[in-house]
Amino acid sequence: MSTIAPEFRLSRFIASLTDIIFWILLIFSIIGLPLVFILLFYIKLPVVNGQLLTPYLAMTWMADPSRTIPIIKSLIHTEFFRIIAFPGFGFAALLAAATIFVERKFLAKIQLRVGPLYCGKIEGILQLMADGLKLMSKEIIIPAKADKPIFWLAPLLFVGTAAAFTSLIPVAPGWVAANPNVGLLTVFAIIGFFPIITVLSSWSANSKWTFIGGIRALHQMISFEIPLILSLLGIVILTGTLNLTEIVESQQHYWWIVFMPIGAIVFFITIIAELERIPFDLPEAESEIVAGWLTEFSGMMYGLIQLGTYLKLYAFAGLFTVLFLGGWNGPMVWPPFPQEIITNGITIGPITAHIPGLPLFDQEMLNGTLWFVIKTVGVILVILLPRGVFPRIRIDMLLYTGWYKLIGLAFVNIFIALGLLYGGVLGPGGLIQ
Amino acid sequence: MSTAGGIIRALNSGVKHLAVKRFTLRYPEQKLKFVGDGFQFDPQTGVGIAGLKGRHILFHDKCTGCQLCSVACEGIAEAIGMVKVKETWKHNKKAIMPQIDYGKCVFCGLCVDACPFYALYMTNDYELSSFTKSALIYTPSQLAVKPNISQDVEIKIGKRGATHG
Amino acid sequence: MTTQLPPGIELEKVDDRIMTLNVGPQHPGSGHMRLIIKLDGDYIVSCDPDPGYVHRGEEKMAEYRNYIQNIPHLERPVIHDSCNILYPYCLAVEDLLGIEVPERAKYIRVIGSELNRCTYILYWLAIYGIFLGHSTMFMWPMGDRELFIDLLEAMSGARVTHAYFVPGGVRNDLPANFEERCLRQVDYFEKRLKEYEDIFYQNPVLKQRTEGTGILSRMDAIRLGTTGSVLRASGVDFDVRKKEPYDVYDNLDFETQVLREGDSYARSRVPYLEMFESCRIIKDALKKMPKSGSVRTKLKPNPKGGNDEVYRRVESGRGSLGYHIISNNRPEPYRVKISVGSFRNLICIPYLLKGEKLGNMPSVYWSLNYWPVEADR
Repeated sequence: MSTIAPEFRLSRFIASLTDIIFWILLIFSIIGLPLVFILLFYIKLPVVNGQLLTPYLAMTWMADPSRTIPIIKSLIHTEFFRIIAFPGFGFAALLAAATIFVERKFLAKIQLRVGPLYCGKIEGILQLMADGLKLMSKEIIIPAKADKPIFWLAPLLFVGTAAAFTSLIPVAPGWVAANPNVGLLTVFAIIGFFPIITVLSSWSANSKWTFIGGIRALHQMISFEIPLILSLLGIVILTGTLNLTEIVESQQHYWWIVFMPIGAIVFFITIIAELERIPFDLPEAESEIVAGWLTEFSGMMYGLIQLGTYLKLYAFAGLFTVLFLGGWNGPMVWPPFPQEIITNGITIGPITAHIPGLPLFDQEMLNGTLWFVIKTVGVILVILLPRGVFPRIRIDMLLYTGWYKLIGLAFVNIFIALGLLYGGVLGPGGLIQ
Repeated sequence: MSTAGGIIRALNSGVKHLAVKRFTLRYPEQKLKFVGDGFQFDPQTGVGIAGLKGRHILFHDKCTGCQLCSVACEGIAEAIGMVKVKETWKHNKKAIMPQIDYGKCVFCGLCVDACPFYALYMTNDYELSSFTKSALIYTPSQLAVKPNISQDVEIKIGKRGATHG
Repeated sequence: MTTQLPPGIELEKVDDRIMTLNVGPQHPGSGHMRLIIKLDGDYIVSCDPDPGYVHRGEEKMAEYRNYIQNIPHLERPVIHDSCNILYPYCLAVEDLLGIEVPERAKYIRVIGSELNRCTYILYWLAIYGIFLGHSTMFMWPMGDRELFIDLLEAMSGARVTHAYFVPGGVRNDLPANFEERCLRQVDYFEKRLKEYEDIFYQNPVLKQRTEGTGILSRMDAIRLGTTGSVLRASGVDFDVRKKEPYDVYDNLDFETQVLREGDSYARSRVPYLEMFESCRIIKDALKKMPKSGSVRTKLKPNPKGGNDEVYRRVESGRGSLGYHIISNNRPEPYRVKISVGSFRNLICIPYLLKGEKLGNMPSVYWSLNYWPVEADR
């Protein structure tokens, strides 16, 4: 990007300015305006104070400080915000990015070394941004004999499926991007997509190394899906519902991990296998098959796949928290919003301003989010730990574990759940409510 | 059951190491300490004096231009060539002194072993990189400069592990 | 139109089931060597090692340089084990020229040799860990290796390629307060070695992966001519330091570590146990070393060997390393033949990998203690 700047000439400068203005107007009118109208057609706009809040109205109202907070609040409670920002993609991507950095530092501490150090003033905190910029500026190389449409689509499908998975996890009471009544079944259906995408991307790259990697990934993911589903049947039996929000609400007095520890352990091992993390990272085994099914991806395609992998990590850890560790339940540690600000307004010196519409988020929601984040971060740290401790497992050991040992343990778990239910200990009308 | 025990012991070992100090030497900010002044050789006893084999230092008031260092290096790396110098010394009638090409030198120190006049030693200077190949050829006057090296840390073994401190 | 092939060469029959993989020099799992592996599903049908990528002609170059100028060249095949690869050369030249080495120099040589053995084994163990996917086992040995490299740098002046051993002794005496520093760091290193047990050698995943794979029986190990830790892991009690002791090894007490199983796990464990013995030897030698004395015998200028030949060998990190030197009244040797442990153990690779799963390839290949640069010289 090093060009020698030509000499300054006023006529050339004015010509380039008008050129830029022309292009901006053209793009805005031909593409931007229709896009805005499509958005307006399909997004449900909130109703504030009896009036439909169109963007024009919102901008005029923003000038009045007494109406700012209700507008923001109504925007926050739309579906769009939930999908993009809070419990959906934005929140997940933020946690995923933080996970990547924490993983590198955590592993480095176990291995008695420093990890990223030089990007950013404090201990390399901007390393992730540097990696992202690097990946964006790299050339995307497509192998000549690869199947081009599928090869281009594969990372996009991967990120899309991973993002769809993160949309099902409830973070706070009432805050979830998608809440189907058969939530757990939807989770299983989405997890079932990942082997297909892996095999598609490895097959389309048309190389021996990706072929071996893809076959191994297929074996691994399929043989661990069954114990994953079976280990969660215990919870479904005891709670009687497949809806993830209801499962969290049923854990108000005790967490399910207390009664079904075996199911929790089996689920934990299967999520490490589904995420292709060490010790189960055969599909990307570096010393045997270069990089497995990821070999031929370069530049931003590799970046998208890494993003998808870490979104999956957040989603599985969130699922573990929701199902076994009580989701957002926890003692109320968030301080309540001071009542005087609502009644009397904020006083700074001689000025008192009344701001109606506060608080922005209620205390329950913030407390729930705090506990959810603490528990999920704890689960993520425990998932990161085996990376520093175990070597890679071999394919026949993996298949043996997945098909014999884990299915056996999952059945033991189901019998324990049935025993607890029919023994009258748990469930409706049981000893422990 | 022994596999479960082994797995738990391995995880325990990993977690224990979260409390051990990091061993890294943070290089440009911290530099290693050395004992002594660099590798030297005493031709009378025929034994060297221990030290780091870094950049050479040439003492102009002792070098007689005998070329033995260049002859020793010919079979090894051919890094020493003799060049004419403008200074006049009584003991250096031919007015030649060695010029060392650090692009070729392998820092074995056999030239120091070959010098019979206590004129060529090695110092603790190891940061010799440059932007051009020709800048790596050190003339006799460049070799006479005594280097100024910062030395900060060494390996210290404490209760929570060894560190460079 | 069929092409006429010269006699003795035939076209390879291409089978639909068999896939040829090129675990070549540009592969994260191969070192500087190529392995041509034919796979049937997950099983290796045949393996053809292809060394020679790092051949530099050390033996030919040695014929044009005199005995002292050969030292920086001959230590380069294994840069971090350079004392051990120069040791038999120095012993052989001392025999040729009839030089007597002072006592303190012999002890210093033993200490240098053992420090280098530990450095090499730690590097090898680090690469073994990363081949199996265990990144912690890559970082810990590399970090602990720093303790030894620090000592070697104080002793000889360079971190690797020390150029420290010379025919006649060693090039310089030990620096001040070396013994105390050495004892401190070797003690700490023994503590660190015990940490490797839990996380690596008793790790159930590692044991399931390496136990029972690549089994080399005792008769096969002797018949194929293997050497070093590969031989000792198959139950043969042979260590050059004990059977043909050189310098002061008959004065120091240590034991040969022998394991009976002959699988990859045993081959990866024998060098680990040998490191404990090395620490013992270092501490013992530091105690028994004469406190003062010369460390080098002065050679005549331009020494010439008579019409003579000599063979001396030494136990290096990879096995017995021998030099056969023929001289003919000139300052340069007539012929220097280096017999290296890695090249002799190379014969085991196609023999052991046949019938193994692909997943076992890194663990068997690297457990044979093969250093590609040394095998190619």
